[in-house]
Amino acid sequence: MSADLLFEVGTEELPAGAVEPAAEQLKALVLAGLDGARLGHGAARTFATPRRLAVLVESVVDRSPDATRQALGPSVKAAFGPDGAPTKAATRFAESQGAAVSALRKVQTPRGEYLAIEVTEAGRPASALLPGVLGAAVHGIEFKKRMRWGDVEQSFARPVQWLLGLHGEEVVPVVFADVRSGRMTFGHRFLSPGPQPVAHPRDYPGLLERAHVLADVAARKERIRVEVTAAAARAGGRVPEDPALLDQVTELVEWPTAVLGSFEERHLDLPPEVLVQEMTSHQRYFPVLDPAGRPLPRFIAVSNTPVRDPALSLRGYERVLRSRLTDGRFFFDEDRKVPLVDRVPALERVVWQGKLGTYAEKVGRIRLLAAALTRAVGRPELLAVVDRAGLLAKADLTTGMVGEFPELQGVMGREYALASGEPPAVAQAIADHYLPRGASDPVPADDPGALVGMADRLDTLAGLFALGKPPSASADPFGLRRACLGVVHLVLGRGYRLSLGEAVDRALEGVGRKLGLGPAQLAEAHALLLEFFRGRLKALWADRARADVVEAVLAAGFDDLHSARARLDAFAQVVGAPDFTPLAVAFKRVANIVDKQGRDVAAQAADPRLFQEASETALAEAARHAATEVHRALAADDAPAALAAARGLKGPVDAFFEKVLVMTEDRAVRDNRVRLLREVAQVFAPLADLARIQAEAGGTP
Amino acid sequence: MTFQDLILTLQRHWAAQGCILAQAYDVEVGAGTMAPTTFLRALGPEPWNVAYVQPSRRPADGRFGENPNRLFQHHQFQVILKPSPKDVQSLYLESLRAIGIDPLEHDLRFVEDDWEAPTLGAWGLGWEVWCDGMEITQFTYFQQCGGFECRPVSAELTYGLERIAMYLQNVENIFDVEWVRGVTYGEVFHRNEVEMSTYAFRASDPAVLFGLFETYEKECTRLLGQGLPLPAYEAALKCSHTFNLLDARGAISVTERAGFIKRVRDNARACAEAYLKVRAALGFPLVKTGWTVGQQPPLLEGAPASKSWESFGAEPKS
Repeated sequence: MSADLLFEVGTEELPAGAVEPAAEQLKALVLAGLDGARLGHGAARTFATPRRLAVLVESVVDRSPDATRQALGPSVKAAFGPDGAPTKAATRFAESQGAAVSALRKVQTPRGEYLAIEVTEAGRPASALLPGVLGAAVHGIEFKKRMRWGDVEQSFARPVQWLLGLHGEEVVPVVFADVRSGRMTFGHRFLSPGPQPVAHPRDYPGLLERAHVLADVAARKERIRVEVTAAAARAGGRVPEDPALLDQVTELVEWPTAVLGSFEERHLDLPPEVLVQEMTSHQRYFPVLDPAGRPLPRFIAVSNTPVRDPALSLRGYERVLRSRLTDGRFFFDEDRKVPLVDRVPALERVVWQGKLGTYAEKVGRIRLLAAALTRAVGRPELLAVVDRAGLLAKADLTTGMVGEFPELQGVMGREYALASGEPPAVAQAIADHYLPRGASDPVPADDPGALVGMADRLDTLAGLFALGKPPSASADPFGLRRACLGVVHLVLGRGYRLSLGEAVDRALEGVGRKLGLGPAQLAEAHALLLEFFRGRLKALWADRARADVVEAVLAAGFDDLHSARARLDAFAQVVGAPDFTPLAVAFKRVANIVDKQGRDVAAQAADPRLFQEASETALAEAARHAATEVHRALAADDAPAALAAARGLKGPVDAFFEKVLVMTEDRAVRDNRVRLLREVAQVFAPLADLARIQAEAGGTP
Repeated sequence: MTFQDLILTLQRHWAAQGCILAQAYDVEVGAGTMAPTTFLRALGPEPWNVAYVQPSRRPADGRFGENPNRLFQHHQFQVILKPSPKDVQSLYLESLRAIGIDPLEHDLRFVEDDWEAPTLGAWGLGWEVWCDGMEITQFTYFQQCGGFECRPVSAELTYGLERIAMYLQNVENIFDVEWVRGVTYGEVFHRNEVEMSTYAFRASDPAVLFGLFETYEKECTRLLGQGLPLPAYEAALKCSHTFNLLDARGAISVTERAGFIKRVRDNARACAEAYLKVRAALGFPLVKTGWTVGQQPPLLEGAPASKSWESFGAEPKS
């Protein structure tokens, strides 16, 4: 026999963002508890609103089955005396299990031989097990921030108001803080006040919907999307995609209704980003764009209550936005009274990082570094634009608008640069230098912003690494992981061919001067920072190839990121081929011999006069040919051809090992063979370190 | 509803729940939270239920009476309920109905807002209460105060009176709010805004203010040494207000700012500790009144949080 199980935790309004994750945790905890109690069950689904977290599990059995398990006693050594008689340890264990010593069996365990007994555990009724399962679940939910209330010691994200636990028609008794479970739920705070009894779990979703609560997250989100889209259409526009805003709004309401409002047209001359930010960031209104993508003087608010007279509440929504836009306009007008370049000196009073100094100092380093990068990528004609953009890149940090909306940094810099008569390319670069902001963001469409942005990020990375403050597993306050990936995306996305190591060195020079670091400290920071790049690249390229292949390719160098990526893609193409693993095995063998035997062998080319077998001569010729080919192909950015040339050595290598014994008695011949194999190994060196390829991971060995 | 009726209605509502109606604290504060009727009373195990209007001075927000939304001095209606009742949200919503905000006519929302006052070593979790997208109340469950865990937890409700009055009266400018029939907020307070803003931004003497800061700081420490946390706390508040005046005057650089805030916080913390010691020595006398407001359901799990003070002695528990 089985029945559906419903558990609802009723709360005061939870923070948007905490709702859905908590409901998922509740589901996982309840399911883990059911499994732990051996209570079979069907599928589970969650419900989550600002005022409730709930899980409904179908067909939870009403009794756990009988089960046998092995109870482990003392070790055999400890269980019997020298005379073979059972010790106290053995008799006590037998007693505790209600059995005679003779009933105990010897079993092998990883720690040796032990006494054991099969114990039959009788199944238990769900009514005895479920209170523990649900109680542990509500106590086990984790939140980023917890709080206490009243005089209770327990904590939750917000005070718990009620608990609803039902198995079939039976209440599951659960206690949390000052709340005892029952069969009551509560509908919408205002539209359906008062407790509502739930007869059976299956009634729950329908009952809530009649009580003006759309408890299914996906359904509620869809209703908002549909309503918002329809409202935008009424205004002759559309709502831009903003999944984060939609998620937030979904977690702020139980019964959404979209309301279309307006603001004064005169505010439309504010930059679109400012308008959108004013509407979305605090008010969580949806902006409305015209077909050309320009903001309309309209917005859509999502109400939690379908009020009696929408015009009355609309007055409030419009009023708040009006006062925010008036504030924004005030900042915009005030900020533009000062030419952007005149704000640069104010950066001397804005601390970027204690030891690394002010933003003024950072800007100074950015300019030097950006100039070096501009030369390195072969665009010296851009030097003037890049330098001006670097000078102005951070000037908007002292404006009122960015003080109010830090998210608008860069965008405001562009607007104020244009208003100050700066060249459009400079203005665009100021906005662009923050791109890409995240993994899904595009890189800038033009070079100046990309170069300034790269300089900014490299300066941040170099500074924090030189200070010995790399990010920890849990904390990355300066966003170094994002900065590092930003550099990689800029280099690859903009097609820059530059030496990453040299760029890092230029950046370290700048911060090294500020911090007064010596060559040894800079070298250490350089090594640590490049290791950090290696780690980020491994993570970034995890979807391009197997982890060991990525490591092997990175081990051959990533100073030129394009070449590294091209080599990786070439390997990824062939790594699944049947002959790849034997190739890797063969070259691993080569690498092993060179590694073990090569230490005492002077570095010089193999001497053909010492070859004794035709296969040696053949291999030497093949290796020299392949080496030339690999270098030629790599220089021509043809990684697949380079790899193909190197793979061509497989036959000669196999023939060599078949005919030749490297470890011959004759020292001169032996050393010469090691030298030959070293040449073979060096063919692969610029492509990948094959020793890191896991042969077992591939096809047949 | 006039500004005055708004105050009277809220007072009547909370008095009916069993709150003391305190009068505004007569030392300059930036918020109702800073009055000892909140900051000190939130400490320790004793119950406390109070409502009062607190004129709150924020020198940097002064706009010479020229901005329709910002004031040097505004008025907060402050409610403290300790321990926080189980039905505190309902009690609050009833107060909104009393002033004419019907939840079926307006979109009322509790939107996450975490509150922190670095100068007080205090933080809590709660909401901004939105009425049609507009913040009308700050609603906080105190978790820490003066660096001490709040056991039990106080619920703090801070109504922004001017903003609510503007909304209820449908006026766009604070100074157009009707205080009593025929008299506006502007007629009562506009000149105050002009003079106080002028003082804060132009006429104050930073040298004098720096001197006052030092003096009040030392006075706070001296009074604490004599076991007098209440006058010491007044000195700490004066320090805090002096800091706000210096800040508005632009006399404190970005780098110095954190240091001044820490000095104020250290004093506030020391006052909190000294206050608790005095109350402990008195045997936390309000505990035996059993004074509560709203629903206080029995605990079903664990000991009451307030019991943790039984062992409070000379050592701070934080």
